[in-house]
Amino acid sequence: MLEYAGSQRAGLQRHREGAALAGVVRSLDWLLIAGVAGLVAIGLWAVSGVTHFTIAGNPSYYVKRQMVYAAVGVMALVIGLVVDTDVYRRFWRPIYYGTISLIAIVLVLGRAARGSTRWIDVGFFTFQPSEFGKLLFVLAIAGFIADRSRASADPSLTMRVLGLGVVPILLVFAQPDLGTALVYTSALAAMLFISGTPWKQLAVLGALVALVITVVLWAGPAVGVNFLHGYQKSRLTCFVHPQKCTVDARYNLEQSIAAVGSGEVRGRGVRNATQVNLGFLPESPTDFIFAGFSEQRGFVGASLLLALYLLVLWRGLRVITMARDLYSAIVAGGIVVAFLFQVFVNIGMTMGIAPITGIPLPFVSVGGSSMIANLAAMGVLLSIHARGRVARAPRRRSG
Amino acid sequence: MASTLDRPPVVPAPAPEPEPQPEPLAPWRSPRITKRVAILGVALLVVFAALFLRLWALQVLSGTNYVKQAQSNSYRTVPVLAPRGPILDRTGKPLVVNAAATAVQVWPSDLPKSRYGELKRLSQLTGVPLKEIVGGIAKRKDDPLTPVTVVPDANERLVSYLLEHQTDFPGVTTGRTYVRHYPYQSLAAQLLGYVGAITSAQLKALGSGYSPTDRVGQAGVESAYDSYLRGVDGAAKRHLDALGRPRSALVPTALPKAGHTVRLTLSLSLQQAAEKALQDGIRLAQADGQWAARGGAIVALDPNDGSILAMASSPTYKPSVYSGRVTTKALAAQGLTPKTAQADNYPALDRATMATYPPGSTFKPVTALAAMQEHLISPYSTLPCTPSYVSPDDKGHQVFHNWDPGVNTQMDLPTAMAYSCDTYFYQLGNSFYELPGDRGPRLQKWAETFGFGHDTGVDVGTESAGLVPTPAWRDAQYTRAKDPCCWQVDRLWKPGNSIQLAIGQGDLLVTPLQMARFYALIANGGNLVTPHLLLDVENPNGTAVPIPGRPAPKHVNVDQQALSVVRQGLWEGTHLSFGTSYPVFGQFPVSIAGKTGTAEKVVSLPGYLGLKNQSWWCGYGPTDKPTLVVCAVIENGGHGGTAAAPAAAEVFAKYFHVKVKQTTSKHSD
Repeated sequence: MLEYAGSQRAGLQRHREGAALAGVVRSLDWLLIAGVAGLVAIGLWAVSGVTHFTIAGNPSYYVKRQMVYAAVGVMALVIGLVVDTDVYRRFWRPIYYGTISLIAIVLVLGRAARGSTRWIDVGFFTFQPSEFGKLLFVLAIAGFIADRSRASADPSLTMRVLGLGVVPILLVFAQPDLGTALVYTSALAAMLFISGTPWKQLAVLGALVALVITVVLWAGPAVGVNFLHGYQKSRLTCFVHPQKCTVDARYNLEQSIAAVGSGEVRGRGVRNATQVNLGFLPESPTDFIFAGFSEQRGFVGASLLLALYLLVLWRGLRVITMARDLYSAIVAGGIVVAFLFQVFVNIGMTMGIAPITGIPLPFVSVGGSSMIANLAAMGVLLSIHARGRVARAPRRRSG
Repeated sequence: MASTLDRPPVVPAPAPEPEPQPEPLAPWRSPRITKRVAILGVALLVVFAALFLRLWALQVLSGTNYVKQAQSNSYRTVPVLAPRGPILDRTGKPLVVNAAATAVQVWPSDLPKSRYGELKRLSQLTGVPLKEIVGGIAKRKDDPLTPVTVVPDANERLVSYLLEHQTDFPGVTTGRTYVRHYPYQSLAAQLLGYVGAITSAQLKALGSGYSPTDRVGQAGVESAYDSYLRGVDGAAKRHLDALGRPRSALVPTALPKAGHTVRLTLSLSLQQAAEKALQDGIRLAQADGQWAARGGAIVALDPNDGSILAMASSPTYKPSVYSGRVTTKALAAQGLTPKTAQADNYPALDRATMATYPPGSTFKPVTALAAMQEHLISPYSTLPCTPSYVSPDDKGHQVFHNWDPGVNTQMDLPTAMAYSCDTYFYQLGNSFYELPGDRGPRLQKWAETFGFGHDTGVDVGTESAGLVPTPAWRDAQYTRAKDPCCWQVDRLWKPGNSIQLAIGQGDLLVTPLQMARFYALIANGGNLVTPHLLLDVENPNGTAVPIPGRPAPKHVNVDQQALSVVRQGLWEGTHLSFGTSYPVFGQFPVSIAGKTGTAEKVVSLPGYLGLKNQSWWCGYGPTDKPTLVVCAVIENGGHGGTAAAPAAAEVFAKYFHVKVKQTTSKHSD
């Protein structure tokens, strides 16, 4: 922003910001908004079906709560849309340290739920910082990269980015929340990719990841060092060797696949979906909601959902190219790829083509933190898109 | 903002023609980054193509398979027990029937992982020890989809409690079952047998059609005719959730077929009479000072076809102890565990078919028939009946005494039988000994021909073959290893062995049923019948079910003349004043012929080891056209005429619907 001297300065600035905001509203990506709205709607539909018999006598318990979260999430989206991305860039350090402390607080204070600590209970709502952390992590790391964009070919920059990113990833991994840690990792990789890290460095990083996977899954256990809990490893590898994995891990996978398959083309409906209603499908309102939704609504419903994800992701990728500056582009890249990663791993695991990790399905899985954080991220995407168009608008008019 | 800076000048430069401007790029933007976004776009398409294809493959291509899988997931097939067929007596009176009951079952696969608390509560509710429940589940480890029955006949309170608290007991169900009910309690207990859980050995032996949860006949009629009685279990299915809690009512998929009705040749009234007679006989023996008389058997046969009309064994037990939940404590109380069996004198033992006794004088007709067949005597020439006898062939000069030391007279065969003169038969025994060796042991051969020494072929229960001692048997029995001091002497067949055998003593052992079968042969004119219990089988609609044919009575090539001499002797034994069972049968309204027996047997009782007399009586009636053979044994009951004969008389009295006069005791052979 250019600064003018004189007494008009403040007034002009206010005027220009007002004009910019109006421009932002005018230049919204309405297709992206439609896609997100469709996902939220279909998500509520899925929740209402899958949780219909979860609480006896109160079929709408979960869907009502989820609607409240969606409403709060829309507010978060508006905030994300209104706030200029420059603010995040300027304050990336506080965001970064704030994120780390939030996740650390969970480790210290958070209550244990099913063997892993991911929540902070704030009375009416159990708050899951690692969900919000996804967005904050992207906003912070992107700030660091954008500040040093001229040196983006320097391997030491890549090293420092990695060093910065690895701290929150390890904290989330320690919760233990392997799935979310992987989401963070995918976002980090996407940000390096978009920021223009040379292919050679990316190749080295890829080799490094392959090495880590080998050590964690194979070499480590072979020499008696286990980085993963038994169930984590079993779930990760189960989809590759279904015959070798433990009964429990295979049971969940088989029930999930049976749920998806039994939906056939038109679905079994809410009442007849025995895999969901009789409890054969594990974690049906959360991690495996896609399987429950597919059982109830069939190929028709499930492919509609997939199509909406595809729409949102396509618009998301487009936002990267429309971004006003490198920071916004990196943020958009991180958000979109993390989103894609979640959608693929979650849906893939219910159908046996991705490892089983506890990743919620964005906009669909029951859970407030995930819903609000994802809507806020969409707000940021919309904001990037809008500000990018506003920035380019005058030129276009001149042409 | 950049826009203010980039605004074009107010006065445009004199450009001849505005160039077509390409889409402007932000300063940070480079083709490299656009390319990378394009790469991400390709990745996006690949990922979604994979997801769509997989979804299509699962739902559209193989959806029907998964529907089946999901349905079999939620449906659980439960066997619906077929009611077991009833067992009736020959007139159709029920001896064993079914009572409907509710079983409490545990489905191991549906129990929660932390099952201890639930099983503990179940144990407290049912009174079944936790160890037993856990043991039952452990036994079904390899087959978690069949239920473990905890209580086969739960009371109403327990059942309604479990139904009300179903959610607290995942994996626990109640189901309709049947338990055996015995209207006459201990009646014919050893004969009827009982039903119990199938053992793994039985499962292996019985093969297909049986499942590990089945209950099958374990003894007696229940076991022998299990295939008729058991019926065919049906099936029903019900919705279960993933925790095994039922979510719907049972829907039958295959109706159970009730078991067939098995009708026995047994007569309820005669069986009751025989069991009472047996108790009376034991009481008479004890009244006579036979303190060790605590058991016995009575067999009543139709001599013409071998139908068993009554077969009593004492002591007995109540088979109801095996219906419902079987506890060691309850079994022990009835003497049905190895520890308590001896104290209760082995109530599970069917003495009629499984116990062997020396027959004593009841064996004399065998000796008589064999001697006549071998032409060792002529029936109406006489032999001396003396107080004692020494075999001229015996180098040891062993003296064999007559039971009556005061007699010294010539007797013909019928008289010797009626009077039961031992010395007469000693002489016959010695004659058999004197037969040339190349003719073999003729007396034993005839005994075997008459059915001794091997199974009778009775259709129900297990039986003992008994023992007919021969020189060959003796030679094999006494070896250096078994009899180190005296085997060289003991293994030889000596005159004393033949002499003892002639009066049914020595090593000879017979079962009461074998004896009854032999007396049936005398009564029916030389036919060896196969004793049997099965009369017919009907399906639940009342239609006859084919049953295997019975072996026809085997005619034994025995001289009718000889038979009539023996019958004469048996008649005299009951009708002439010197007859050993004259006091019992002399005044009997129907003409009965028979023979007493007082057989010495070395018995080992708690605190006693020595000789005890086994009280026998075998005979038939009416003498001119016999329709009933009765053989009675009172274990350690003393003289045959004292205990066994009066007991047999009671059975005849019931059979012929006549009153029997209480008899006076007389000591005789």
